[in-house]
Amino acid sequence: MDLFLMTLTTGIMVGGIYALVALGWVLIYKCSGVLNLAMGEMTLIGAYVSLSFYSMGVPFLLSMLFMLIIGFILGILTERIFLDRLIGEPVLTVIMVTVGLSFFFKGTLEFIWGTDTRSFTPPVFSIEPIRIGPLVIGQVYLWSFVAAIVLLVIFVSFFKYTRWGLAMQATADDEMAALSLGVSARFVYAAAWAIAFMAAGVGGTLLGNINGLNISVGYLGLLVLPVVVLGGLNSVPGAILGGVIIGVLQNFCGAYLDRYFPGGVKEIAPFAFMAVFLLWKPYGIWGWERIERV
Amino acid sequence: MDSPQSILKINNIEVKYHEVILVIKGVSIEVPEGGIVALLGANGAGKSTILKAVSGLLKHEDGRVTDGSIEFLGQRIDRMPPEKIAKMGIVQVIEGRRVFEHLTVEQNLKVGAHMRKFGRSIKEGLEMVYHYFPRLYEKRNEIAGFISGGEQQMTVVGRALMTSPRLILLDEPSMGLAPLLIHEIFNIITRLNQEEKISLLLVEQNAKLALNVAPYAYVLENGRIVMNDSAEKLRENPDIKDFYLGMTDLGGRKSFRDVKHYKRRKRWLT
Repeated sequence: MDLFLMTLTTGIMVGGIYALVALGWVLIYKCSGVLNLAMGEMTLIGAYVSLSFYSMGVPFLLSMLFMLIIGFILGILTERIFLDRLIGEPVLTVIMVTVGLSFFFKGTLEFIWGTDTRSFTPPVFSIEPIRIGPLVIGQVYLWSFVAAIVLLVIFVSFFKYTRWGLAMQATADDEMAALSLGVSARFVYAAAWAIAFMAAGVGGTLLGNINGLNISVGYLGLLVLPVVVLGGLNSVPGAILGGVIIGVLQNFCGAYLDRYFPGGVKEIAPFAFMAVFLLWKPYGIWGWERIERV
Repeated sequence: MDSPQSILKINNIEVKYHEVILVIKGVSIEVPEGGIVALLGANGAGKSTILKAVSGLLKHEDGRVTDGSIEFLGQRIDRMPPEKIAKMGIVQVIEGRRVFEHLTVEQNLKVGAHMRKFGRSIKEGLEMVYHYFPRLYEKRNEIAGFISGGEQQMTVVGRALMTSPRLILLDEPSMGLAPLLIHEIFNIITRLNQEEKISLLLVEQNAKLALNVAPYAYVLENGRIVMNDSAEKLRENPDIKDFYLGMTDLGGRKSFRDVKHYKRRKRWLT
């Protein structure tokens, strides 16, 4: 029972991080229809940037803030330089460009930061676990979860309550109609990439805190796919729920199945689950089926 | 039409899609300030393309004005991006009731107010829209994808109104609506024209309706203007009667076997 509860909580907490990254992914997909396969490398960039600031002695929160600013700028640059000229091109072309981007990012990362595993030293969160009733939770997990939730709330309320958020939702719904009302599509795309970059960066930083940081954290970029497929490709709440589900699933597989199928059930489980899930719910949990009035 | 203060002037434009497909072949249209002008024509004549050329949405479909010019209040706009044109006060209501399906009615309207920066003017705008479309006020919190077709059309027109436009390009507001609703919507459109002094360029397939609302109309065939005159004169024109209003010279029903349809139609196309 203890193991069960522990696994569940850890799963939910890690799931919060997945949710954050998935939110960024969904945003790009929703607003501009781009299937972004460079998400993992975007998380890595963010993680390495905040790690660099942190190792220079900048307090953790401040280095996160710097990372957010840099992520914002990089997001806009990426959109402006690589994706702006692809508007209106076939979907496959755009996907291949994001694949190219992922290699480009990865190469740049290895060039700058090397391939060794690095960790946040001194550790940002104390190793002393926190006890809540019967639960024992590592501080890293708890704070990561809190940070992820705070950012999720910020991003979601940005969509709900600001002029620009509304414009982004409108563009996602019907681009042509949004354009006719004076919404600048270029701005919306750039904003989507900026937010995605920031979300990815935070996700990467938090994960890097948990396991240490090396290129393999970029695996998150692939893991985001089952998360968003599960939630429905263009649903923000779906991405959040999907993140949590995948996080929990992964941890359960790690805890219970690893004994029987040693070596990486944890990594495969989300994808196997995705394949089965798609069979009976191809739109995901909250994906858009076209609204049709009868 | 030689009204000196025209709000929109389309001078002999040519439109190409994908740099090769010539859709509009030299069209000139003029909309007087505060007036309503109708643009009639069959499917595929190029009516919507002309509206998109004015609003700039054409560029988004890989189309381009390759010749001629479009002037709004004396300023050339045919090379401007759509958001800039919208800012100048032109708004297009795209055909087919394109509401933002997953937003509520009020959110739809608020997107229309995207260019207004201040909360207060958004409120005033909303009040004005609800004044003209009381039905939208009742439905304001409903998801726009699920309201009726007429209400969606109202939402779309109301949304355009939120941009505080000087010229509305209205594309087939009557499409697929019940006659009573069409009547209601056209009433409101005329009121908007008279009370808010908004000029209108109206595209319609329903010629009878359009000629009732607009004092002046152009007839478009195959990317060319084949006729333009005041509504009364067009109503009396035998060809218009035949092709667009569905009446014969005698006023009675007729067999289509008797009409040398294609021959007469050909005459227009020179």
